[in-house]
Amino acid sequence: MEPFQVGSFLTAGVLIVTGLWALLMMDNILKKIIGANLIGDGVNLVLITIGYRPGGFIPEVMHHFHATATPSSYSHLLEFGEFASNASYSLPFALVLTNIVIGASTLSVMLALAVVLYNKYHTLSVHKMFEGED
Amino acid sequence: MFDYILLFAVALSALMAIIQENLYKSIIILTFESFSLAAIFHFLLATDVAAVQAILGAALLPGLFIVALYKTTQGRDE
Repeated sequence: MEPFQVGSFLTAGVLIVTGLWALLMMDNILKKIIGANLIGDGVNLVLITIGYRPGGFIPEVMHHFHATATPSSYSHLLEFGEFASNASYSLPFALVLTNIVIGASTLSVMLALAVVLYNKYHTLSVHKMFEGED
Repeated sequence: MFDYILLFAVALSALMAIIQENLYKSIIILTFESFSLAAIFHFLLATDVAAVQAILGAALLPGLFIVALYKTTQGRDE
């Protein structure tokens, strides 16, 4: 495993732990929503890092994109099998592409529910919101 | 080297967005975090995901947050 992948996994861990801490400990309800968004970002980063192949090709555009592309660097790649064995794994990319869009829509629903809660209780603090109830 | 700086920027700005008291500043830092994450996706050879993450994270997400924050605080600095 490359050092950049290790760093990516560590960053994803930091994102998930920070989001969980915000969800559990923060009082403001918008901070909790920001924490849920950070957890989604961390999960996306884990999935993308799993599909990464060090020194590989971008799987969507054949032959023409490399991380350090010069016109002579792909001239030997004439066979499809050679391209397919060097391209990075593209299934997590499709998965994450769906996950980003679904994350944005669930984020909008959470924000709308926060606005509804504010109109009912006239505060954003969760502690004040459920003060009278046990 | 630039990719490691981006990883550090993502982790640091996620922490700062949670710690920050002013919610408007918190949203701006969250936008920076999302856009840096899109650049990391480009370095991890996922350019289509990077494009979608850049559009949604840099335009739609702060727009939704600012509309919700304006509706809950009515422009007051809270």
